[in-house]
Amino acid sequence: MPKGSAHSSSKLRRNESTGGQGLLTFALVVLSLVLFTISVRESDTGLLHTMRNVTQTIVSPLRIVGAFVTSPFDGITNIYRNLTADTETLSELKQENERLSARNIELEEAQLTAERLQNLLDLQSAYNLQSIAASIIAGSLDSWSQTATIDKGTAAGLTVGMPVVESRGAAGQVIDCSATTSTVRLLTDASSSISAMVQASRAQGMLVGSVDGTCRLAYIRTDQTINVGDIVVTSGLGGVFPKGLPLGRVSVVESMPGSSYYDIVVEPFVRPGLLEEVLVVTSLTEGQEASAEDIQVADNADLVAAGGTPTEITPEENAEGTEGEAAEQQTGEFYVDENGQVTYLVPETTTAEGGGETDAVE
Amino acid sequence: MQLNDSNVGRSRTWLIALVCFLLQVMLSPHLGSSMGFGRINFALIFCAIYSLSVGGRSAVYYGFLSGLVFDFVSTGPIGLMSGLLTLAGFVLGREERNRFADGYVGVLSAFGVVAFLVSVTYNLAMVLLEDVSVLDLIMLRALPTFAFTFLAFLPFAFVRVRASAPGRGIGTSRGLNSSALSSGHYDISHIRNKP
Repeated sequence: MPKGSAHSSSKLRRNESTGGQGLLTFALVVLSLVLFTISVRESDTGLLHTMRNVTQTIVSPLRIVGAFVTSPFDGITNIYRNLTADTETLSELKQENERLSARNIELEEAQLTAERLQNLLDLQSAYNLQSIAASIIAGSLDSWSQTATIDKGTAAGLTVGMPVVESRGAAGQVIDCSATTSTVRLLTDASSSISAMVQASRAQGMLVGSVDGTCRLAYIRTDQTINVGDIVVTSGLGGVFPKGLPLGRVSVVESMPGSSYYDIVVEPFVRPGLLEEVLVVTSLTEGQEASAEDIQVADNADLVAAGGTPTEITPEENAEGTEGEAAEQQTGEFYVDENGQVTYLVPETTTAEGGGETDAVE
Repeated sequence: MQLNDSNVGRSRTWLIALVCFLLQVMLSPHLGSSMGFGRINFALIFCAIYSLSVGGRSAVYYGFLSGLVFDFVSTGPIGLMSGLLTLAGFVLGREERNRFADGYVGVLSAFGVVAFLVSVTYNLAMVLLEDVSVLDLIMLRALPTFAFTFLAFLPFAFVRVRASAPGRGIGTSRGLNSSALSSGHYDISHIRNKP
């Protein structure tokens, strides 16, 4: 067969084949269009959709395996996406991050405030305090004194001398009142002096402030037992502070040779720089003041210090209150953790009755 | 003239089909979700491999079938991809010879054009069914799909071109090569046409 003839023969066969291919292609494209039209027009329960559902069900295990196999790639592509993120996306994410961070801080602040207020409420309930809530609006204006300014004054019923308590315990005393604000001398102030006693041994003394921010428990005789770590509470003597409010923890106990009194350093629970919300105790209820026994113990201590003989306390005397009336002692219970956080045990009856009266913190 | 080696050719065709099917079902949806809206179209890759290796009427059949499988495992309208791959099989398989033996340029350019048209047309068909932006469809779906599919085709092309290289098959100077062997088709027309 001549070469040219063979070439033309091959070309002819190819043309025939291509023609057949074209017809087949046309037929299958038409079939595809028919399928396309049917699939678009038929309902979800139609034949094609049913077949698709069956197919999807059959291949679903493969997809699950695929998801497992490709899971490492998701992390890689996320890293790639982060690395190749455009400036606008990064800027938006940065702004979103700042907004969420600010929001997070707000929420944390709100949570801390709620916790502090809850502690104040617990304190108020535990001691059944008649009080007015106030917020600290300023600290000391000078470096010599440890005072704080609260946002309540005479208009709210505050007067000079009222005790001020915080969720950690006694905070100080009102020393100055204007119509809308009051100045509180904190117990760490060098001129502060509060009747106090050691909770464990019931030894009574005076908690005085000092310039180094700690407090000293003065007038505790050396024949009494005082240990480091003992809790110091208000004694109620003097009728200013309710009895039993936490004040601080004994950190140093020293006995100087020839001295009748211990040199006791107390670390106060209240942290002057962290005060925010306080309660101003407007009046003491029955049982919040020192009992006759406490008064007698204090008097005996003075007598002993002066070289006299202490007098015995009779049960009848002990049962009498400071005003000569039988009164149940209303001192709250609390415990202090290692960080100095005071938690009050709120009596169920007090909680149910709503405790004392307290204005809302503004 | 074509001669089918049913044992070798069919088994390799089915092997490639199985690999592409598994990749389509297992890999494409998950890799696609990590890469934005683009999805690798392994049905198109299988259709292109077969059409560029063998071509002819069977390429049209395989194009239609692979497209139909794609339609059934995907959520798009049934018949759309089958129609497009039927046309792709026809276009890529018109020469009825192993085009991988020609090297990368011809194969990749042919596949690139077809893959681009298939991706764009498939996504443009969505405009008929849904109220979507054409520009978004092209930029966010069609072009990424084309790009990922083209990239996924490269390893297949590499293997096929290497297998079809001169000296790797028997009788390479006369038109028979390893690719033809592997696809199960032998062009013996030149033997019969000898004087």
